Amino acid sequence: MEAALPLIPLLPLLGSALILLLGRRLPPAAPGLIATATVAASAAVCLALFPLSAGEGIRARLFVWIAAEGFAAPFGLLFDPLSAPMALMVTAVSALIHLYATGYMREDPSRVRFFVLFNLFVFAMLLIVLADNLAILFVGWEGVGFCSYALIGFWYREPKNAAAGQKAFLVTRVGDVFLLIAMLWLASDLGTLGIREINGAAPALPPDTATAIGVLLLLGAAGKSAQLPLMTWLPDAMAGPTPVSALIHAATMVTAGAYLLCRLNPLLLQSPAAAAAVAAIGALTALYAALSALFQREIKRVLAYSTMSQVGYMLLGAGLGAVGAALFHLIVHAFFKALLFMAAGCVIHLFGGENDITRMGGLKKTKRALFWLFVAGVLCLAGAPLTGGFFSKDAILLAALSRGGWFFALLFGLGIATALLTAVYSFRLLYLVFLGERRASPDAHPHSVPRAMTVPLWPLAALGLFGGLMNLPGGGLLDGWLLPLAAPPEPASHAAEWALAAAAALMVLAGWALAQRRYRGAAPAPETGAARAFRSGLFADELYQRALVRPFKAFSRFCRRVVDGRVIDGGLEGGARLLASSGGWLSRLSNGSVSRYRLALGLGLLGMLGWMMVSVLWP
Amino acid sequence: MNVPLEHALLLATAVFGIGLSCALIRRELLFVLLGVEIMLCAAGLALVAGSAAWRQPDGQVFWMLLLAIAAAEVAVGLSLLLHLHRRRRTGDVDELRSLRGE
Repeated sequence: MEAALPLIPLLPLLGSALILLLGRRLPPAAPGLIATATVAASAAVCLALFPLSAGEGIRARLFVWIAAEGFAAPFGLLFDPLSAPMALMVTAVSALIHLYATGYMREDPSRVRFFVLFNLFVFAMLLIVLADNLAILFVGWEGVGFCSYALIGFWYREPKNAAAGQKAFLVTRVGDVFLLIAMLWLASDLGTLGIREINGAAPALPPDTATAIGVLLLLGAAGKSAQLPLMTWLPDAMAGPTPVSALIHAATMVTAGAYLLCRLNPLLLQSPAAAAAVAAIGALTALYAALSALFQREIKRVLAYSTMSQVGYMLLGAGLGAVGAALFHLIVHAFFKALLFMAAGCVIHLFGGENDITRMGGLKKTKRALFWLFVAGVLCLAGAPLTGGFFSKDAILLAALSRGGWFFALLFGLGIATALLTAVYSFRLLYLVFLGERRASPDAHPHSVPRAMTVPLWPLAALGLFGGLMNLPGGGLLDGWLLPLAAPPEPASHAAEWALAAAAALMVLAGWALAQRRYRGAAPAPETGAARAFRSGLFADELYQRALVRPFKAFSRFCRRVVDGRVIDGGLEGGARLLASSGGWLSRLSNGSVSRYRLALGLGLLGMLGWMMVSVLWP
Repeated sequence: MNVPLEHALLLATAVFGIGLSCALIRRELLFVLLGVEIMLCAAGLALVAGSAAWRQPDGQVFWMLLLAIAAAEVAVGLSLLLHLHRRRRTGDVDELRSLRGE
């Protein structure tokens, strides 16, 4: 049984290789089927092995990757209570999204490239999840970054898409550098990169070092998870095909940062300051992204900002040490956000490629099934009572509330405000897309939606709605499962639990009411200046453009013109000119006249004789 | 009879100077060659004189070698000179400028 563990990541890799080598020779539907089948098989292996992960879990060592004096990084996999549910979620959701993609990419001429990258992405993501040490984790970390880049710019003939891919790659690279520094620091201080070993040895770290490493890990996670201040790439990443947005930029890759912080939570909690910073960044991002989501006009950008906001909750949970709550929210979020993205892909198809929600509306009349699926997603996202999103969000907020102290009370306040905003923008989306009058331009031709695109939505809707059963308040399954790794949440008083649940439900109702008053039926009002500010994410792009990109470009121009043009080229060309002119001058000496030569010979001879004489006479 | 070394060296220097001025001043290639030969002879004279003065055979051995090489050199040089005269009808060094490679 245990020997099957490497199959989990290797099956998608095998699929990727198969499609790459044979994809063009097989019938057109084959690449999608191979991709879906390998990921589904991986999910099945994951499910079969799941019981083995209890307690200590199992480890597999495939080979030694790096071996040096006093340091080793084996290529190992770790299947323990934290990585097993995550791996199961990743493979299951990926399999559904792959199925969806077979429908979505049905007519795309570059299907082969798409599925090669898509399967490769799942492999890299599973490496992150199952990595036994940070070196392997980093391989997966960079792998998902590359696949994300290649898939955002999948339709690279549009310069906009290629630029979005580059932006995502570069911004996440900034975070990756910090992660790499943290890894090197850990390797030099603890002499190991093994995740268990690091967590075990973490108490031995000096407090300052622990804080510094914690902050570096936070920055690394912020890059991958699109948190403040490295969040600008995620909204642009929506340039990719919708399955890519659903899989990479909602369900799995962006949660890798939160997962990393859960994975290294014992290390993070060594430094209360770093943990508090993680929580604060999470809460601030949650609020910032929710505010921005409220004013977006493209359906996928709304969802992108909402992803950012929900990942903020996960970071808040990780910073509070509530690993169970963070992982719970991560998994439930993956279900309903994949559902929402894929439903959004169907909506975009049905409006003939229209992205702008102000030009949608009225879809409920024609597509009832899709409407109810979308309602399920919206309810989960808004955190309506008894859905999965309600329980998972509450678990995080409860952890913040029961910590006590003004700082965490403030974070709790941010979280509950975000909950209200989340409800407003979720229902806004629902009203603008599905209800009211149809505002689409009459010449928009709806594309057909194949069955493969609707079938995967049903299980996801069920998982999202009933995901709360995984971890009901008061000693949930997941918390109990994670006991070997993470301390159980501090038991809160029942009164506080009920009060929080009531407050959260109130927020959902209030958000619903607000959205209904503002967006029901009425055509959207022209946007005000404030709305434009929020729509652009509080000018974050503009700010980075001015503060970083333009100075950097100016500096590059300076380097090209002055350093390269004048100093380097000038120096080389000047040297060449000097040599050429002196050569020309010297070549005039060899004019072919024998008498000139013999004169030079004679003079040279006399000179030599004279020198000898002088050195003999006056030694 | 015993010639002092100084006399021999003075004579060698004088002959060398004559040869050098001949090689430098004359325009006819034949005389330039002649001057070079005279310089070689002067050097040989100095070698032999030194060898006699210090009673070491090296100088005289060296002179024999020099003589052989000078003879070979003269053979080559003179045949080149002859060819030059046949082809160009001149031996004037100032007119022989084709070494410049143009």
